[in-house]
Amino acid sequence: MKKSILRTTFFITASCLALFFTNPVQAEYGDIVINNYSDESGMRPVVFPHWFHRIRFRCKVCHADLGFKFQAGGNEINMLKIIDGQYCGACHNGETAWAVENCNLCHSGKPGTPIQVHGSTVQKLTPASSPSNN
Amino acid sequence: MKAIFQIVRLTTFLLVAASLNNLYSADDKKGAVVVETYCKGCHQIGVLGAPKLGDKKDWQKRAEKGFEQLVQHAVNGFNSMPAKGGQPALTHNEVENAVANLLTAAGVDYADNPGPKAEPKQKTASKKTQKTVVREQPTKVEKKTQSKVKTRVGNSNRFNRLMKPREQWNPAPAKDGIHDPDNEGTYLLQKPKEAFADLNKSSSGNRVDWVKALENKLISPRFDLNDPDKEAFVMDLDIVREVKGSMPDVVYPHKQHTQWLDCSNCHPDIFIPKKGANQISMASILMGEKCGVCHGKVAFPVSECRRCHSKSKKIKSFGN
Repeated sequence: MKKSILRTTFFITASCLALFFTNPVQAEYGDIVINNYSDESGMRPVVFPHWFHRIRFRCKVCHADLGFKFQAGGNEINMLKIIDGQYCGACHNGETAWAVENCNLCHSGKPGTPIQVHGSTVQKLTPASSPSNN
Repeated sequence: MKAIFQIVRLTTFLLVAASLNNLYSADDKKGAVVVETYCKGCHQIGVLGAPKLGDKKDWQKRAEKGFEQLVQHAVNGFNSMPAKGGQPALTHNEVENAVANLLTAAGVDYADNPGPKAEPKQKTASKKTQKTVVREQPTKVEKKTQSKVKTRVGNSNRFNRLMKPREQWNPAPAKDGIHDPDNEGTYLLQKPKEAFADLNKSSSGNRVDWVKALENKLISPRFDLNDPDKEAFVMDLDIVREVKGSMPDVVYPHKQHTQWLDCSNCHPDIFIPKKGANQISMASILMGEKCGVCHGKVAFPVSECRRCHSKSKKIKSFGN
């Protein structure tokens, strides 16, 4: 009986490990998942693609002029600020870039995905901080 | 009791086997796989008037032209449909299978055609000439996959098994594990591979050398939100940091940094603008501090040691 439990546990663990190594999440390096309020509000978390934006703007535009801190989830952005023209709203206003009514273009992450800088060294070194994604 | 455990084990095994099978069937030529991998991007929501997946009405109209015609359109392109869906590596047969799969999924009975496998014998002559023309390109790919099959090396014994194989680099948003494939918007997002096609390559990060891409003017990111002509304020000043141990010294180029950033991004919060005033260690960089605020997150990762540690030390000779 005990043996069976042990063997089953071992088997399930081994299987999970197999999946862990063979099913890596592989979004783009530098993709930021922002999930400060999304999950609790019943929206999908936001995925911000750094690569897409750096093709069009230098880092300075967002991180100096618009005041984005260098910290995933650290800017406490909400829709009110965006509609007021702050943060994403400085461009996503229907003039420079498409406006806020395209909810699901930003809110496109899998529900429950934790805040993270995807593919970052910190994420790789501390998998505990991002349980579902490595 | 034992039986219950056996069932649990068997179920786990089957589940894992099924998901593994899903993951590694990329080389499979089945229509369903091609549809899932390539066609869905547009046909799921009907981008630019593409017939939608499973929409009988949409597909019936097309099927009336005949299966052969439909395959030809898919292979050579038609209206907004790019040739082979923009995937030149697909073979004629794969496209044919995909079309058959799409029609079946929509519940369309394409009676005047025999389906992908049973081809009409009367048509062989014309068919052959058609195929030789279309197949010229993909033969290489076919040969490759054939030789792959011959070696029969399982995935667990593949070379560098913990590294992402090249074909898994830069996946489309719907397949990257973070975007929700059930979200329609996900399919409208640009695919990284498409954006990176012309940019300088790199072996890490986004697999793009962003600094070179900017130098070569392959991208032209704005330095100002509204003024596309505003030039970056570039400061050309190298700072050499001598490091302990045998590693080459670090050369920090202000030039490449100021092409992207503003002075205020780094000074004085991250680095005190005074030589010798900053304690920097690889440990802090790895944990996302100092250089690690960007390097290891968006700028090239720390695995590229020699891009920073680039100034060889004078080797002292001993024994003389």
